[in-house]
Amino acid sequence: MRPERRITTYNGRMDISRRQLAGVILAGTAAAQAPPPPTTGQSGNTELESARSARRTAAQIIARVPLPMTTEPAFQFKA
Amino acid sequence: MAEIPPDIFFNSISELNAKLRAKEFSCHELTQAFCDRMERIGPRYNALALSLRKDAITKAKDVDRELKRDRTRGALQGIPYGVKDLLAVKKQPTTWGAKPFATQVFDYDAHVIERLDKVGAILIAKLSMVELAGGGDYRTAAASLTGPGLNPWDRTRWSGGSSSGPGAAVAAGLVTFAIGSETSGSILTPSAFCGLTGLRPTYGLVSRQGAMALSWTLDKLGPLCRSAEDCGLVLHEIAGVDLQDPGSAGRSFNYNPKYNRKPTDITVGYMPVDFEDGAEPSAQPAFRAAFEVIKSQGVTLKEIQLPEFPYGALVGTIIAGEAGSIFEEFIRSGKVDQLADPHQIAGLKAMLDLPSTEYLRAMRVRSLVKAAFHDLFLNCDMVLAPTRLGPANKVAEPLDAPGPPTKSRGGLIPGGNLAGLPAISLPCGFADGLPLGISLLGRPFYENQLIAIGDLFQKQTDWHRRRPPMEG
Repeated sequence: MRPERRITTYNGRMDISRRQLAGVILAGTAAAQAPPPPTTGQSGNTELESARSARRTAAQIIARVPLPMTTEPAFQFKA
Repeated sequence: MAEIPPDIFFNSISELNAKLRAKEFSCHELTQAFCDRMERIGPRYNALALSLRKDAITKAKDVDRELKRDRTRGALQGIPYGVKDLLAVKKQPTTWGAKPFATQVFDYDAHVIERLDKVGAILIAKLSMVELAGGGDYRTAAASLTGPGLNPWDRTRWSGGSSSGPGAAVAAGLVTFAIGSETSGSILTPSAFCGLTGLRPTYGLVSRQGAMALSWTLDKLGPLCRSAEDCGLVLHEIAGVDLQDPGSAGRSFNYNPKYNRKPTDITVGYMPVDFEDGAEPSAQPAFRAAFEVIKSQGVTLKEIQLPEFPYGALVGTIIAGEAGSIFEEFIRSGKVDQLADPHQIAGLKAMLDLPSTEYLRAMRVRSLVKAAFHDLFLNCDMVLAPTRLGPANKVAEPLDAPGPPTKSRGGLIPGGNLAGLPAISLPCGFADGLPLGISLLGRPFYENQLIAIGDLFQKQTDWHRRRPPMEG
């Protein structure tokens, strides 16, 4: 039998008591070796502008593909 | 306690299961040995996100009690495995590889974990990954809570992404198989870079309930294993209908090799440039040799052309539209700034500017991609191509650093993902001392035939049995 409390989206939602959360925080996770969080500022703005530019370029490339007006998006809805 | 011989850590699922049934050692002993190894060696490759030793030992003792009563539950009973840390494990941290989610905990297990639990597989660890599965377009291997995924074949090289931990852990013999996810290349790439056999199932065949969503229409879960046969055994257990996953295809999968078509009845499409001088120069001899092995199976080989589409731009735009919606609150809250890779932070922020018309245009062009692949498979049964055009990137270099020049067009990974098609990556040799992989791409729900050709390839070669030169 499945538990009754289920989600309908597969990324779910968090559900935990404060006690459990405190235990988890104390237990910690694997040692973080990633670089420290980047600072926002000029370099962040440059990265953001670069990312926006990449998106615009992608849109231009996609716009070159001939697309009949009758073509529907590749969604698959189920009733 | 029986001592577990080192070879056991590199056994296939069938080999390990047979030894458990023959009581050469207990499941408890086996699990303990794998947990010891995972905790000792896993951090060396930044592969371990969280050890689940306590629960694993409890479940292993249950399996021993069952085996004592000759109660068997299939090939995966008692087999130690790991999952990418984007899958929910009840009351344990599920970090999605990202610092802002380091303390996130769910109160349920992901559907695939429930299924594996029912057949007695032993979950021993959560495995590291690229933060948020790399959806913001990461540019460094270090874009992860646990640091860069290091390759057991050479720790100066990347283990691939975004399923970095599953790739490294299976290659290093820390688990017998692992569950990874793929939106566009995250199972096939680590499999190729680490010398593993990885299977990306047809979209919707494996439920994603309990997995982090990056792209509702592209995300898939699948196994990273040592062999094609192992992929079949794992897929047999994790595939199936799940009403909790709106993308579920409503199909099951029975791994049953004896009903496959003979190789002489199979037509394999390929692009000649891929096996001439299309790949990186150091990799070309291995790809040519692999092509000859496939040819020797008696299949009909047919030259094809991959449909012409801007695959990379389409995948990027679709992920931007869907991930931008999924992570909208996270981005707007400013927590996104805690991620490790500045490029990924910027990529996620830029998603919020994407016009709906651009997303919908990409999804409409995707319909044309699907139709083009459908037509392609009227002329052949599967397509053979290098998984990646060369070996693993250097960890110290940006992932977009220019590599050796190549003539192959690539496109099979994003194209196959856009069309929701299954693919298997098989180890096929080495370049610069690092593993390479070739892929077979098939029509929807064609996994059994891909596994069959992969299994035949592995009966003729021993690349999948090679082990990394590990110290200690």
